[in-house]
Amino acid sequence: MHLAVSLNIASEPGRAGLDFAGIADIARQVEAAGVDMLVISDAAPDGRPSNSPFEATTLVAALATVTERIGLVATASTLMHQPYNLARRFASLDIISQGRAGWSATLAQNPREAANFSWPEGFAEGDFRRRAQEFIGIVRGLWRGWDRDALLFDKEGGRFHDPGKMHLLDHKGEFFSVRGPLNVARSPQDAPLMVMSGLAAADLDFASGVADVMLIEATTPGTAKATGDDLQRRALAAGRAPGALKVLVDPRPETGTVPPDDRLGAEGCDGLNLVLAPGLAASTDFAERVLPWLRRSHARRSVGSATLRGRLGLGAGGEQ
Amino acid sequence: MSRRQMKLGLFLWATGHHIAAWRHPQAHAMAGVDIAHYIELARTAEAAKFDMVFCEDAAGLREANVGIASQTSRSIGFEPISLLSALAARTKRIGLVSTASTSYNEPYGLARMFASLDNLSAGRAGWNLVTSASPIEAANFVATGLRPHADRYERAREFATAVTGLWLGRAGHDGQGFSVRDPLDIPPSPQGAPVMVQAGASDDGKDLAARTADVVFSAAQTFKEAKAFYDDLKGRLAAYGREPDDIKILPGVAPVVAETEGQAREKHDQLQELIPDDVGVALLSSYLSISDLGRYPLDGPLPELPESEGMKSRQALVIEQARRDGLSIRDLARYFAGARGHWRVVGTPAQVADALQARFEGGAADGFNVMPSWFPGELDAFARLVVPELQRRGLFRRDYEGRTLREHLGLKRPTRREA
Repeated sequence: MHLAVSLNIASEPGRAGLDFAGIADIARQVEAAGVDMLVISDAAPDGRPSNSPFEATTLVAALATVTERIGLVATASTLMHQPYNLARRFASLDIISQGRAGWSATLAQNPREAANFSWPEGFAEGDFRRRAQEFIGIVRGLWRGWDRDALLFDKEGGRFHDPGKMHLLDHKGEFFSVRGPLNVARSPQDAPLMVMSGLAAADLDFASGVADVMLIEATTPGTAKATGDDLQRRALAAGRAPGALKVLVDPRPETGTVPPDDRLGAEGCDGLNLVLAPGLAASTDFAERVLPWLRRSHARRSVGSATLRGRLGLGAGGEQ
Repeated sequence: MSRRQMKLGLFLWATGHHIAAWRHPQAHAMAGVDIAHYIELARTAEAAKFDMVFCEDAAGLREANVGIASQTSRSIGFEPISLLSALAARTKRIGLVSTASTSYNEPYGLARMFASLDNLSAGRAGWNLVTSASPIEAANFVATGLRPHADRYERAREFATAVTGLWLGRAGHDGQGFSVRDPLDIPPSPQGAPVMVQAGASDDGKDLAARTADVVFSAAQTFKEAKAFYDDLKGRLAAYGREPDDIKILPGVAPVVAETEGQAREKHDQLQELIPDDVGVALLSSYLSISDLGRYPLDGPLPELPESEGMKSRQALVIEQARRDGLSIRDLARYFAGARGHWRVVGTPAQVADALQARFEGGAADGFNVMPSWFPGELDAFARLVVPELQRRGLFRRDYEGRTLREHLGLKRPTRREA
C-alpha cells in the first residue's frame, strides 16, 4: 500500500503561513514515518488568495535539499506558466531531488489565476481543456528530448554530448509553439511523476491516459473502489499497462481527522492520501495522532527504491 | 566614516566561464546535473563573504549548431530559480540572483517566484531582468520569432513596473501588454522586495536600468570603456530622482590567479589549448556578426570585413587591435572564446588586486562580478588568494555587515505601499 500526505500551504485567513522550518519539519517527520510522497499545493481551494510566504515549486526545490527519501510533488497551474519554463523547472527539481520530484497538474481553470495572468475573461471550458492537454503533452515531450545516454563528458575527445541523442520537439499546436529541446538533462526518473486530482468527469479519460498517480476522495465507504476501478478501466482503454496508474484515496473527507484503522485497506485502491487540514500540521494533533497513524500504516509495507517512481512500483518515465 | 568597499558577485556558469572549462582535467564536467557541486560553490563564495551568487539564463540552447554545441557544456544545466531555491536552504548569508526573461513570463508569475525565493532565503533574492535576444529562445515560446529590440524593451518597461508594483503591495495593473487584478498573494521578505539587477548595454537598456535597477552587470575590456559606461549610467539617475549610489555597477572580470605570474600564465595557456578550433571560430564569428569566418585560413590574419549592421564600436576596436598585434584568426578566436569578451586578468594575487583596485578607486566600478574560468579550481584560487589580499587592503569586507542582500549591497529598503 502506498501513502501520500497532501499539504496545502495557502493558509486560513487571519493565520500566518507556515515558515520554512515548520514545513521542513513536517516533511522530515512524514519521511521518517515512511510516507512515499508529500504533495504541496499553494492555491486555496475556494479561490481565496494564499498567504503563505512560498510558491510550491520553489519550496520543493528547497525541501529537496533537506530531505533524503520522500517524494516531493508540487502543484503548478497551466495558466501560471509557459510549458517550456515549467518543463525545465520540474526536470531541474527531479535532478536536485535525485529522482523524487512530481508535478501535480491542475486541469481546472482558476478564475483568480486567469485574472492575474492577462486573461481577464478566462477561457471557455472547452478551450481551457484543449489548452491544458496540449500543455501537458508538450511538457512530457520535452522531458524526453535527451536520450538517457546522451551526455558523454568525454574530456579527451572534446565530446560533451552525442548530437544524435538530442531531439527537437517541433511542436506546433492550437495554443503553443515549442521547438525544444529542453536545456536541462534527462532527469533521474526520465520524467517527473505526473499527479492529478480534483478532476471533472470530462477530464477523466485524458487524465487516466497520462497520470502516474490520481488522488481521489471517498465520500462514503465503498465509493473509492468503484471510482478506482473506473479510472483503471479508462487507463487500460488508453493503452496503458496494468499497474501503470496508481489511485490513492483520501480516507477521511468527512471527519477532518485521522481515519480509524479499519479503513486502512484503501478500499481496493493502491493506497491512501492523507490530506492535512489547514492548521493541523502545526497542531499537537499532528504529532500525537497523525504521525503515529502514518507509522502504523508504514509498518505494513517495505520500501527499497531511491526514486519516487521506484517507491510506487512504477516503471521508468518513458522510452528513449 | 568607514572606507568604501567593493561588492563582489560570483557569476555561476555551468563548468566555468572559459568555453573549454569542462575539459580541464580537474573541472567538474557533470556540474549541470549535480546539485552538490553548486552547494559547494555557493558555500565557498559565502565563506569568502561574496555579496551574491548570480545565475545567467536562457530559455533554450545557447548554440544552434549542434556540432558546435556538443563540444561545449552549455546545452544543459539547472533552471536557475529551482537551483537558487535549493541553495537558499543550504546557505545563510549570501545573496541569490537569477536571470529571468520579461519576454517569456507574466509579471504575476515572475513576481511570485522571486518573492518565494526571497522568503526561502529570508531576504537574499535578486532578479536580473533580461528581454531575451536569442531567436533560439523565441522558438520555444512563439511561432512568430524574435520580437524587435524596441518592442522587447517596451514590454520590459511595463513588466518591470508591474513586478515592482506587486512586490510593493500595489493592486492591479492594466496596460498594453499585461493585466493583473489582485495584489501579490505572497507577503514581503525581510528585505522588503528582491533586488533588481540588469545587464543591458544598449541605450534602452541603460535607461531602463537607470529607472529600475539596484545592480548593473557590465562588460568592459579597458579602464576607459568601464569608466565611460559607469559615468554614463550614473549620469542618467538624476532624471529619475535617484542618487548615484542607488545603483551598484559591477563589471565582469575573469581572473586567473596563482602564486607566481608564470604559474598563472601557464594555467591560462593550458585552458586556451583546450579550445577546439571550430568552437572558437564559431564564437568569434558570432561575436563579430560574421557568418563565414571558418572558410579563411586559421593561421592567417582576419580578412577585410565589411561594416556590418550588428557591429558595435567595441567590436571594431577588437578588429583594429588584432591587426595591430598581427593576431591570426585562431589567436583571436581563442582570445575571445576564453572570457566571452569580458575583462581578463592573469597574474599573482597582488597583481589581480592591483587591477581591481585601480578600476574601483578610479571610479569605473563599485565592485565586480567574478567569472572563474573553471569550477571549482579558479573560484577556490580567487577565494584563497585574492579575497584575503583585498581584505588586507581594506577593499573588501571581512564579515557580512547584515543579513539581507540589500544590506550587503548598502541599498535602501523600498517603500511598501499597503494595498
